[in-house]
Amino acid sequence: MHLLPLILYAIAAAAYIVHFAKRDERIGRFATATLGAGVLAHTYLIGMQTVQAGHAPLVGTSAAISAFVWLLGLSYLYVELTANERSMGGFVAVLLAGLAIIPALDNTVTPRPPVLQSPLFTVHVMSLLFAYANFALACVLGVTYVLLFKEIKAKHLGLFYTRLPSLQTLDVMNSRAITVGWIFLTIGCVIGGIWAVQVQNSPDPRVQAMSLGDPKILVAVLSWVLYSFALFARRIGWSGRRAAYLSGVAFAVVLLNFVLVGYFLTKSHNF
Amino acid sequence: MRLYAIGLSHRTAPVELRESVDFARGGVDRALASLAARGIGREIVVLSTCNRAEVYAVGDNEATAEGVRRFFSEYHNIAHGQMAEHLYVRNGADAARHLFRVAAGLDSLVVGEPQILGQVKAAYAAAHEAHCTAALTNRLFHCAFAAGKRVRSETGLAEGAVSISYAAIALAKKIFGDLKGRNVLILGAGEMAKLTGVHLQAQHVKQITIASRTLSTAERLAAHLGGTAVAWDSLDNALHAADIVVTATGASEPVLTRARIEEAMRPRRGRALFIIDIALPRDVESTAGDLEQVILYNIDDLQAIVQENLARRAAELAHAEAIVEEEVAKFVAWMQSREIVPTVVALRQRFEAIRQSELARLESKLAGLPPEARSRVDEVTRLIVEKLLLTPTEQLKSVSDEAMIVAYADALNRLFSLPSDKDTTEPDKESEVAS
Repeated sequence: MHLLPLILYAIAAAAYIVHFAKRDERIGRFATATLGAGVLAHTYLIGMQTVQAGHAPLVGTSAAISAFVWLLGLSYLYVELTANERSMGGFVAVLLAGLAIIPALDNTVTPRPPVLQSPLFTVHVMSLLFAYANFALACVLGVTYVLLFKEIKAKHLGLFYTRLPSLQTLDVMNSRAITVGWIFLTIGCVIGGIWAVQVQNSPDPRVQAMSLGDPKILVAVLSWVLYSFALFARRIGWSGRRAAYLSGVAFAVVLLNFVLVGYFLTKSHNF
Repeated sequence: MRLYAIGLSHRTAPVELRESVDFARGGVDRALASLAARGIGREIVVLSTCNRAEVYAVGDNEATAEGVRRFFSEYHNIAHGQMAEHLYVRNGADAARHLFRVAAGLDSLVVGEPQILGQVKAAYAAAHEAHCTAALTNRLFHCAFAAGKRVRSETGLAEGAVSISYAAIALAKKIFGDLKGRNVLILGAGEMAKLTGVHLQAQHVKQITIASRTLSTAERLAAHLGGTAVAWDSLDNALHAADIVVTATGASEPVLTRARIEEAMRPRRGRALFIIDIALPRDVESTAGDLEQVILYNIDDLQAIVQENLARRAAELAHAEAIVEEEVAKFVAWMQSREIVPTVVALRQRFEAIRQSELARLESKLAGLPPEARSRVDEVTRLIVEKLLLTPTEQLKSVSDEAMIVAYADALNRLFSLPSDKDTTEPDKESEVAS
């Protein structure tokens, strides 16, 4: 059962790519339906884990990645259905399937240590994961912007020119995703700070490691700086193309922090 | 009942004849009424566009087709001999295939042009309004719409601009999305400038500014396009404000140098500038296209896009034809299953009549039975008849060959001496069996 979301995401990714290339409406609908089924199966899985553990499965990097994949799938489906735009599906579904491998390999629900038994912890994790989901969408929008821009500029109009919406649309959606993501990133970081102060007397060594010097926190602050700059850069007249590149780079930092730092480097966030 | 498509188009008739054979001129309603008054066809749809005039008719036999052929010349007062050689007549599956190809834009002068589907819809709506359609044409036209829609969405047949002006506008839309709220600057006031201006104006751009070396010609074009004219000296200011620049001057040296555009880009805060250089010799230094956020297309680039689009449309033809064939097969299967329906209904009625008469004959013997037992007898006999007829009904409905259908119907009519008049069929039963 815990493999089902991964399988469905992978099938959806393949279907979205085929739809992008062949533009068969039926395959497109199939892709959306499969992704929807994947998100549903994932919802069920997370629900079962919550019932079993008695708390939301947010402890540990694998569980957090799983929740992130779920949120991203949900957010993307919302965007697809409201914007009626399926061309980004391939990019997003590949990311979903790729990341879903991690929780599929390690699906144990880590028991929640006493120090995490605070509603602030759930708000902290959920708002950060929602921010990351927005940044992932911004990254996909940025990548497609660059691909389309290159085609137009090189006067070689091909696949992306016929499939993607206009540069303007991609740019506006990208800027919207970054704004929403930045708001939740800020909320998540502030709540994390408040919570760390509240539990600072805890004997847990991980709480003692909560400082700006910890890689996880440091890189999180770095990504906050990057996204703050991305918002600011638009005001000083950065072009859509540079903003698109920035949303790609910044999301790479987020992923790095989420996966690499989360697994191997941090001393404060290795729950 | 047979389906016929009779008409002429740009493929079969010269333009002079097409001009005089125009049902739309006097109103399609009048043509429909005239056809109905002559008693031609049980169902009729008249399709009239600038490149074709067609009548889709459902009738009992060839007389229907001949009637429509005569109607074409009589209605337009053209000698039949002069008209006849240009008229095509298709029937059955070929008629359906013809309509589906027309709806999909495969039979159009510019293959894949998008207006035709709307025109087919309008033709059907007019006929429907005039109560000239029924089961067969309803189904036929809805299948045609579906085929047209599928070709549009699943192939690139209708995709890509096939004229320079449209290629430029399609590009502008790909860059800016909606062109409302965009500022356009046109350099030059000649014929090319005017033509592109008209196309852009149709996109409801926010403002069109025209700059020309002589202010008076700029003012004349501005008045025509509902824009404003600016003096040649204040070109740089206009360049700051513009999103789209069209250059079409007769200058022998580039008017917009790279340095000049670079200067104009500075205060724009990363706003993209799309320059369309349709002048020969060119008005814009080609290296200007290397500037960040400047997208420069000259007439050769646009010409290349048009050529590519034409080639791409041609490459999509096979795919589009395959979709049409699929939809035709679906429609034909439905149409033929419908032809066997009267026979199936008659067969069932026959069996039911036998059952009823047998029950009536046994009435005296059954009279002594309690009501539950009598209803049981009724139920059992009904089930036996149902079961006996189940396989033959399914087999009959799966026959797809027209000649076989006629042979089967004939055999059944003889074997069970079914009534040959198909008009006794009850309409509600017909739809029940057909579904």
